Amino acid sequence: MKYIFILKAVLHSISHRKFSVFTSIFAISAAFAFLAAIGCVSFGLAATAVNSSLAFPLVVGPAGASDTTLVMSTLFNTDKPAGTLDYEFAGKLASDERVSAVFPVARSDSYMGVPITGVESAYINEISKGFWDIDPMIDAKDIFGGKNSDCAVIGAKAAMRYDMSVWDTFFGSHGSVGDEDAHLHDFKYKVCAILKPLNGPEDFAIFTSLKSVWEIHKHGHHDAEHEEHKHHHEHGEESADGKITAVLVKTKNPVFTAALEREYSENGFTSATDTGRTVRKLMSYMNKAEEAAGFFSYGTLFLVLIMVFVTIMTSINERKREMALMRTLGIGKLPVSLMIFLELFFISVLGIAVGNIGGHALLAFCKPALDFELGINLEPFFFTGIEIRGMLYTIIAGIFLSFAAMIKIYRMNLVEEIAKE
Amino acid sequence: MAAFERISIKNLTKSFRNADGGKNTIFENVTFELNSGAVLRLSGASGSGKTTFMNVMSGLIKPDSGSVLFGNIDITNLSEGKKDRFRAENIGYIFQTFNLLSPFSVLENVYAPLAFAGKLTKDYKDKALDSLDKVGMKEFSAKMPYHLSVGQKQRVAVARVLFADPPLVFADEPTASLDRNSSELVKNTLLELNKKGTTLVLTSHDSIFDDIRPDVDFNLETGVLS
Repeated sequence: MKYIFILKAVLHSISHRKFSVFTSIFAISAAFAFLAAIGCVSFGLAATAVNSSLAFPLVVGPAGASDTTLVMSTLFNTDKPAGTLDYEFAGKLASDERVSAVFPVARSDSYMGVPITGVESAYINEISKGFWDIDPMIDAKDIFGGKNSDCAVIGAKAAMRYDMSVWDTFFGSHGSVGDEDAHLHDFKYKVCAILKPLNGPEDFAIFTSLKSVWEIHKHGHHDAEHEEHKHHHEHGEESADGKITAVLVKTKNPVFTAALEREYSENGFTSATDTGRTVRKLMSYMNKAEEAAGFFSYGTLFLVLIMVFVTIMTSINERKREMALMRTLGIGKLPVSLMIFLELFFISVLGIAVGNIGGHALLAFCKPALDFELGINLEPFFFTGIEIRGMLYTIIAGIFLSFAAMIKIYRMNLVEEIAKE
Repeated sequence: MAAFERISIKNLTKSFRNADGGKNTIFENVTFELNSGAVLRLSGASGSGKTTFMNVMSGLIKPDSGSVLFGNIDITNLSEGKKDRFRAENIGYIFQTFNLLSPFSVLENVYAPLAFAGKLTKDYKDKALDSLDKVGMKEFSAKMPYHLSVGQKQRVAVARVLFADPPLVFADEPTASLDRNSSELVKNTLLELNKKGTTLVLTSHDSIFDDIRPDVDFNLETGVLS
């Protein structure tokens, strides 16, 4: 009975200070929602990176390309390639008995900021989880075969963003994504297929045949309607006739990956990188950023808790008379101070709960927009270490501050304080 | 009812520190005895220390020196927990205002002190409703204090005293904010309790209590005991 009364008093006090309680809970929740966002976004990015690194354990590119450039320009489509290799090199690599498959890639044009990469049908077969839509006249297993060299396979998010459908046509801008000197190309691509979402950088990419990439760089254009516009491109970092920008390699086992990486880095003609190791290196930078953001969030949380503590201690002055009456009626110091402890603790826990549920719900709500606008594929209901640590720290700080408030009330002679007034 | 035969106040002194660091003596070396069932009237102007004297008597404020004995029990020497229990079981309060605990309903306010002390009997709800019935507040039992007028709150405070049936009741200006009918009800309830043996400590400027002849009259303003 005693504890039901204490609980009732706490809930009553909370419900009668709606504004300050709401503000306190909102502030804690906002900090937690931020923590949830940091955790989920970085987990989403990490998951994407890990998936990509698992698919192609080795990337071989031209000599002088850094590990990061090799990975970013091939798997993540975000960096310019460092140069070119002869297509024949891919064949030589394929004949190595330690290699199970090779996928030559040639970075080419872009369309509305979406990179266009020349690949072979085997690459599409390797990454594809099926098609949302495909031209019925096309062989899904050999999408660039026959006379389909102007065929373009569109990633799911790129297709959604630019409302692209099968049989649509478009012109690429020559130059890499973000190039200031990028200009509209006269080569007409035809959409042959739209990939199902892969939850990776491939979703925001366009793939075409190697042949079409070479055609563009050989003739300047491909379309008879634009015959008069001949323009030879001299962007050295992009693929010219018979040239590719990198080879994605699947090896027979991880030991071969390390050996091949060493060999193809030291031969003076090529650079090679172990995708897994490079991705881990990139992830460790990301983790540092995550930790820094987390650190500031924890600091914010602590300040919020101090604010809640100050608010409650201020409200104690307003409630002194009521607490003095409780003491007068024989209600002990411990139950009265326990009420203050529980009040502060409830607000902390409620803030954590609302922040967690609300933060993740908000992320789930924003997932399509984040996915669409920023290409961030997040897991909205994944609880990361940063968030769990945040919860733990908040609970510990909440208990500590609640306890401080409780001791303050316990040591106060409320009746004497009022008598003095 | 009479948990103690006599209340003995011995050399009781209380002072407060002023903001300027000076000492403000409220009362000094007060000594008197009160038999169980007696009436103690505390008189004096507002601010003379009547409420402080009550608080010292009930162990809520520590005196500078002296003792307050309820039978053999010196409340000034009890631990906080024991003082709380003693108050919950032995003392009832009726104040001028601020009588009820806002988190609890009218009915809960009646039995809250004994609930916190863990002294509720099985039929506590019926008894609490009976007490409310006696002061005409039964129909308000489920209401919250903020729904009540000052007079109604005062009646609930009286019901709380009736429910606990303590051997000692402190009534601090119990009718100051009340209309004539409510004042009569409070006065009659206090007299009825006193007749049954409850010791009454009363402060009031209300002439309604003029016909009550106190056993001890202590004027805090002059320090005269009579």
